[in-house]
Amino acid sequence: MEDILEPSQERNPGKLWSPSFIIKLNRMDLSGKNYKDFIDRNEALKKQYSPERAEKQHSKGKLTAHERISLLFDPGTFEEIDAFVTPADTPVEFGKVEKTYGDGVIVGHGKINGRLVFAYAQDFTIMGGSLGYVHSKKIAKIQEMALKMGSPIIGMMDSGGARIQEGVASLSGYASIFQNIIQSSGIIPQISLIMGPAAGGAVYSPALTDFVFMVNQTSYMFVTGPNVVKEVLNEDVTSDQLGGAEVHATKSGVAHLIYDDEENTILALKKFLSYLPSNNVENPPVLQEDATPDINEKLREIVPDDPNKPYDVKEVINLLVDRNSFFEISELFAPNLVIGFARIKGKTVGIVANQPKVLAGVLDIDSSDKGARFIRFCDAFNIPLITLEDVPGFLPGYEQEHKGIIRHGAKMLFAYSEATVPKITVILRKAYGGAFIVMNSKSLGGDFSFAWPTAEIAVMGPDGAVAILYRKELAEAKDPDKLKAELVKKYRDKIANPFIADESGYIDEVIDPAVTRKKIVSALNALSNKWVKVPARKHGNMPL
Amino acid sequence: MNMMNIEKLIAVSSSGKDFEFEMPLKDKIVIQGEEYDIKLYYTEESGLYLVWNGKKYPVEIVKSKQNKYEILFNSISYSFTIETPFSLQRMKVLKVNKPSVGNISVKAPMPGKIVDIICQKGSKVSRGEPLLILEAMKMENEILSPIDGTVLSVSVSKDSTVMKDDILVEIEEKKG
Amino acid sequence: MNKLLIANRGEIAIRIMRTASRMGITTVAIKTALEPAAPYLATATEIYDNTAFTTAVPVFLDVDRIIAIAQEVGADAIHPGYGYLSESAYFAQKCIDQNITFVGPAPDAIYKMGNKTIAKRIARKIGIPMVDGSEGNISDADQAIKIAEKIGYPVIIKAASGGGGRGMRIVRKPEDMERNFNVASNESRKAFNDPSVFIEKYIENPKHIEIQVLGDTHGNVVHLGERECSIQRKSQKLLEEAPSSALDAKLREEIAGAAVELAKAVKYFSAGTVEFLLDADKKFYFMEMNTRIQVEHPVTETVTGIDLVEQQIKVARGEKLAFKQSDIKMKGWAIECRINSEDVQSGFVPSTGRIEKLEYPSSKHVRIDSGVTEGTTITTGFDSMIFKLIVSGENRKDAIENCKKALDELWITGIKTTLPFFRMLLRNEDFVKGNFSTSFVENKLDNFVLADKNEEALAAWIATKLFFEEHFSDDSNLDYEKGKDLGPWLLNRRIGQF
Repeated sequence: MEDILEPSQERNPGKLWSPSFIIKLNRMDLSGKNYKDFIDRNEALKKQYSPERAEKQHSKGKLTAHERISLLFDPGTFEEIDAFVTPADTPVEFGKVEKTYGDGVIVGHGKINGRLVFAYAQDFTIMGGSLGYVHSKKIAKIQEMALKMGSPIIGMMDSGGARIQEGVASLSGYASIFQNIIQSSGIIPQISLIMGPAAGGAVYSPALTDFVFMVNQTSYMFVTGPNVVKEVLNEDVTSDQLGGAEVHATKSGVAHLIYDDEENTILALKKFLSYLPSNNVENPPVLQEDATPDINEKLREIVPDDPNKPYDVKEVINLLVDRNSFFEISELFAPNLVIGFARIKGKTVGIVANQPKVLAGVLDIDSSDKGARFIRFCDAFNIPLITLEDVPGFLPGYEQEHKGIIRHGAKMLFAYSEATVPKITVILRKAYGGAFIVMNSKSLGGDFSFAWPTAEIAVMGPDGAVAILYRKELAEAKDPDKLKAELVKKYRDKIANPFIADESGYIDEVIDPAVTRKKIVSALNALSNKWVKVPARKHGNMPL
Repeated sequence: MNMMNIEKLIAVSSSGKDFEFEMPLKDKIVIQGEEYDIKLYYTEESGLYLVWNGKKYPVEIVKSKQNKYEILFNSISYSFTIETPFSLQRMKVLKVNKPSVGNISVKAPMPGKIVDIICQKGSKVSRGEPLLILEAMKMENEILSPIDGTVLSVSVSKDSTVMKDDILVEIEEKKG
Repeated sequence: MNKLLIANRGEIAIRIMRTASRMGITTVAIKTALEPAAPYLATATEIYDNTAFTTAVPVFLDVDRIIAIAQEVGADAIHPGYGYLSESAYFAQKCIDQNITFVGPAPDAIYKMGNKTIAKRIARKIGIPMVDGSEGNISDADQAIKIAEKIGYPVIIKAASGGGGRGMRIVRKPEDMERNFNVASNESRKAFNDPSVFIEKYIENPKHIEIQVLGDTHGNVVHLGERECSIQRKSQKLLEEAPSSALDAKLREEIAGAAVELAKAVKYFSAGTVEFLLDADKKFYFMEMNTRIQVEHPVTETVTGIDLVEQQIKVARGEKLAFKQSDIKMKGWAIECRINSEDVQSGFVPSTGRIEKLEYPSSKHVRIDSGVTEGTTITTGFDSMIFKLIVSGENRKDAIENCKKALDELWITGIKTTLPFFRMLLRNEDFVKGNFSTSFVENKLDNFVLADKNEEALAAWIATKLFFEEHFSDDSNLDYEKGKDLGPWLLNRRIGQF
């Protein structure tokens, strides 16, 4: 009897994508009536996922839901739930509802790199993956299980949207999914993979989760689609231009990570998950091996002598963290701030770094939003924060002020201050004004603040300071340029340096860049048991 | 514990040549019908190197992004994208649906200063025609158009300093 | 001469200091803010720290500063190397005025040969053949077009006080004249502080042959044979050899004789180089004279056994040449490969970075003149030539074989270099046969690197391996239990919070 329910784990050499979890039944030799129905139903389910359906999906450059699941989970570990549910009856006859098993979504659990993960994958080949009542209940069920078990949940979206035939029941279905995401937020990591269309209310399901992955050319997200845009505004726009992966990765910031194809998206997700804990009580998994040298003299060579010369802060990051461990997030959105996960001595850290290469690394509306959300994620999931600071200030100007840089900058300030995970700052170069405070200053609750000898810590940059403090002298000077140059030099030498801050305790130590990693490692060790009691409250009121 | 739902990986070179490798990848390579041992090593002292056929070759990773790799192997640079059978198929499928015109970003090959801009937005350029002049290492380097096409935008101004890989000019490839 | 200040950096500074030290002379190198840890400093007996003195002009081009440094350190002589102030008559004169020995020719000779218009006039007077061109400098593109129409396209625009390919542009049709004129003039102004340019008829596919001359202050001038520098790209020399496979004994005598005549005409002393073009009919044309030590001087040293820097110093001390023309014997063959930090595959654009690993070939046939070590950072601030590989052999074939071996042994990572170019070149049939001209690199080569089919397959495997390691490597290193294993302090509080 042992071979009756044997999952087909063997690889089928002729066919690349064989859903490994469909039970192999042909060898069953049972005759009772119940068993006959059992076998028939299984056969029917197998037929439902026919090669024709798969081919249709493939011809659009997309994989089927089954193929996605089998790529994501360790072979033979995925267990499907509710495979045989059928769509709900519609209150009024309008349009056709395909009476299929599963109602256009696969839900279940399995192991990814050996760890329990829950997932749902919408199946575009069944009624366009549209979300009906039963479909939504399946998702909600798996969401609730993931929360109870304290395990990450992955959603793979490929859906035409709410099922029109089912009316308000399908809308209510969305609401219950949203409600579950919000309830689980900050308790288990929730990640969305957009692998086809996600339109209308459906976009809020990924938007509420922690991270959104998209696939170039085959995935879209928009609240109102091109047809509506055409109708209302009479503008011609393609789905890709309106809400393609590229747009959301660069302009809107909705997509955190985008890839050229689905395999790379799923492979990247698996790697990404390895940085995250299963829930907010545990710590992230630890990687054993690490041969990265703790002292690296190359770090001395990166920051140029000329304070106005740009450099790539990612070079610094890559030398500080374990070799090849930096996993950047939202690379293309607000690139003046670099964020991402990395490992130091095998343990996950979150990196927040100003990027002098882009807009001199200023803070603006987008980079504040980007930074704040990342900091809150790290805080929720016990991931220490490493801040690399080289910031000339906030981006000045009419546009930024009018769009509310005050509100947005406040988010970053709030997020840093609120975070109770270990917080370490290294000031590489500029640390001026309000931006110095915002970027995890010690007085804002930062645990350790280090500065390189190249650091310039002051209320404002030399030019601004000289212009204000010596306005009169400069106006009266015979050669104002010469006087200004002298004053700027004096300001740099005497005020804009790390030594005053060091001697007065506003930073912990001015360090040789070469030993930065060593300093961070010992700081992280010292902070590994950090606990801060936060005042009891419903929640703070973050300036959103 | 490995996921082995992918049967082979295909390295596609920048010139479009395919090299297939069975999964899981072994430390073996078949060259002209003969199988050789091949091994990649990393040591702190020597960096990355390859041993093949009794010889040591230096290997450097110039860029690696997603499935795109630019490596220096024995001082020569090679670019590959690593594909699966389906992602290759997908590439073909999506190319059919896509018009054949592409936009190319001309990037700064090195940090330097823009001393002259020869092309303008809208100007027609042919392959090998100078677009602008970048001064670096005390030499004026003509940055040449890699394709025939039309200049969509010039993203730098005269006398501006640029970093390596900054986008200088965007060119729309001529159809056909 | 007791104390020699080296007004230069990089490999040439090291090369000069080696000989000077061997001759018992104290050497002084200048430390600059741009490369305060440069390898050339380690060779010097004394280091002058000029890091605090930063100006827009590099110190090695700053006449007053160099003189001031020499006086401060008590140097009684200055060696300018090549480039920078090596061909500045003004600087040479300034040294003499301050009672400092300038290791090089007299200011007058530098001036006459440095100004190409004057140099041509002198050469014409003594009957050395040369190509048609503008009589003197030209002021604008229109004038250039007029002259070009007279002498016929293609023409070449050259910097009046230039060298080393800077400020040089070939023009093949009138509509390209204006742009090229401006580029050449700008480049010339930046490199030599003099925007003046002239034009002359461009000889298609010539060979570049140059004669090394050496004179003393007593009127003796000898030649040390020729060097062939036809392997060039955009007029930048890449590979030089001595002797040249294009010359026979008679032609050699003729060309070298002309070079010696020219040197004598300007009362030349110290080391100098007279450059000629040799066309397909083996007719030679005078191009210019370089009044300094050349980058490629080691090939001459290798075949003659004469240390040119030593001779420069001796001549500067007023000594007579210790040998006559008939004493000079050439033996064997030498090839020099210029290892530049350049990305050959992207069109020889400068490559920057940090030299991670650097292993030189070890062989008695190999000489390395290097200005870098492991850990040196290559920036865009300096010339891209980082070291020279000089390989000798009994004859050309032997030298090529030795050179191939040496190139295969050379291991350099961190930056892209011209190394793969030479690996290809030394295996090129036409090169091996001696069948090449100055347009060889640009016109005759389809591929600038050694394209081996096997190597591409190996590279493909490497890329696949990297991808595989990133996504499919054994995950047993990832420890989930360790993430759950919290101490009671943290666990109790964390749970208590919720």
